[in-house]
Amino acid sequence: MNLVSESLSLDDYEQAVELFFERGWTDGLPVVLPTRKRVEALIAHVGRDPQESLGPVPPKGGQATVEKLAINAVMGGCRPEHFPVALAAMEAMMDPTHNLNGVSQTTHMCVSLIIVNGPIARDLGFNSRDGVFGNGYRANAAVGRAVRLALWNLGGAVPWDTDKSTLSHPGEYAFCIAEEEEDNPWQPLHVERGCDPGSDAVTVFACEGPHSVFCYGTPEEMLHVLADSMCSLGNNNMHVMGQTLVTLNPLNAEEFAKRGWSKQDVRLYLWEHARRPLSDVRACGVVHEQFRKMERDAGRYPLRYDVDNPTTRLPVTQAPEDIHIVVAGGRSYFAAVLPGWGGFGGFAVTRPVRRPGI
Amino acid sequence: MEILVPVWPAAETARPPKTRPRLLAGATIALVDDNLDIPFTTRLEALLGERHGAKVERLVKPSGTAPSPRDLIDGAAGAHAAIVGIGL
Repeated sequence: MNLVSESLSLDDYEQAVELFFERGWTDGLPVVLPTRKRVEALIAHVGRDPQESLGPVPPKGGQATVEKLAINAVMGGCRPEHFPVALAAMEAMMDPTHNLNGVSQTTHMCVSLIIVNGPIARDLGFNSRDGVFGNGYRANAAVGRAVRLALWNLGGAVPWDTDKSTLSHPGEYAFCIAEEEEDNPWQPLHVERGCDPGSDAVTVFACEGPHSVFCYGTPEEMLHVLADSMCSLGNNNMHVMGQTLVTLNPLNAEEFAKRGWSKQDVRLYLWEHARRPLSDVRACGVVHEQFRKMERDAGRYPLRYDVDNPTTRLPVTQAPEDIHIVVAGGRSYFAAVLPGWGGFGGFAVTRPVRRPGI
Repeated sequence: MEILVPVWPAAETARPPKTRPRLLAGATIALVDDNLDIPFTTRLEALLGERHGAKVERLVKPSGTAPSPRDLIDGAAGAHAAIVGIGL
């Protein structure tokens, strides 16, 4: 296989692992060593030209060639069968809609979450149930870390350099879940977003970490708590809109469905109720006010600023469609909200997973 | 064992900066408008021109959080100096 990356010949395992720290090629954890054999196995699995590039990775513009992505995927712990998912996630992140350049460099603490849908999630052992945002599952961890390492090594999104996140996010190491599709009464996320039922896809969305929501009771009671959690004045959405993510667990979704609520019913209710009076929003001060003003001056979100009545209740997003809903987690009474970056970007993008042989 | 390097080869060194203009008066200043704080940028443009006599070329980025398009960078490169960037 014709690979063009510079290579190093090292005989000592410990020395090789340490070299990745010395050269600044890893995220603070040891890596799986990207030997030629391992890298070739990933590339052979996807059957793509090693020099095919998905484009320059912002902010620094290293090319996302299949070869370089495979090297970083090996380092993150990917087996060959994981690689198509990591490739699809990179393709999604590099869509201009997602604004990876901004996501990687903002002072905000958003990170691009990868959401895996389709049979591939179950086939490869992605976790979509208890502890979905946590540790313990190789597929979630390896694909999540593969992408983060690619952003690190090809994009130069490094905290002492171009990554200006004020507090950052544990998901900088890996941030990947699967949606629960079997124990889910509703259409999965990727089908809602235009993919065929039964197909494999990933969706990326830049967001904060999951905020716990104690979500139990009637649909209206659950939605009351969710709506309140979504419109916290500390999140960007409440000031500059953008998109937000709600993760309901399978029991939550079942309770809604049993009472005749579709996912769209839930979304519309949340959009109508996840609101704060203008007086609350204005009380955040002049800087927050300035952000809204900038948005108005730039011709975005006129709704937000063309109201003068302090009792007017402002929605958390411009439209109901900007509220993404995913079913994942254990059957319990906790849901989560994951606010986005706001109107600056990080918007959801979905891409099919090109699984070899299917 | 043969280990493959995960980073992209370093780009060529950027060309050296131009000599700074000694005075703003008469200098052409590219003002890159991030499209974020438009009144601020407008005020800055006025001050540079009216108070300091600079010839200001205001170049508007489509998005304040995305890179400048190539033609905007090329346009700014023709000025004596450029003002770039409001961080968020």
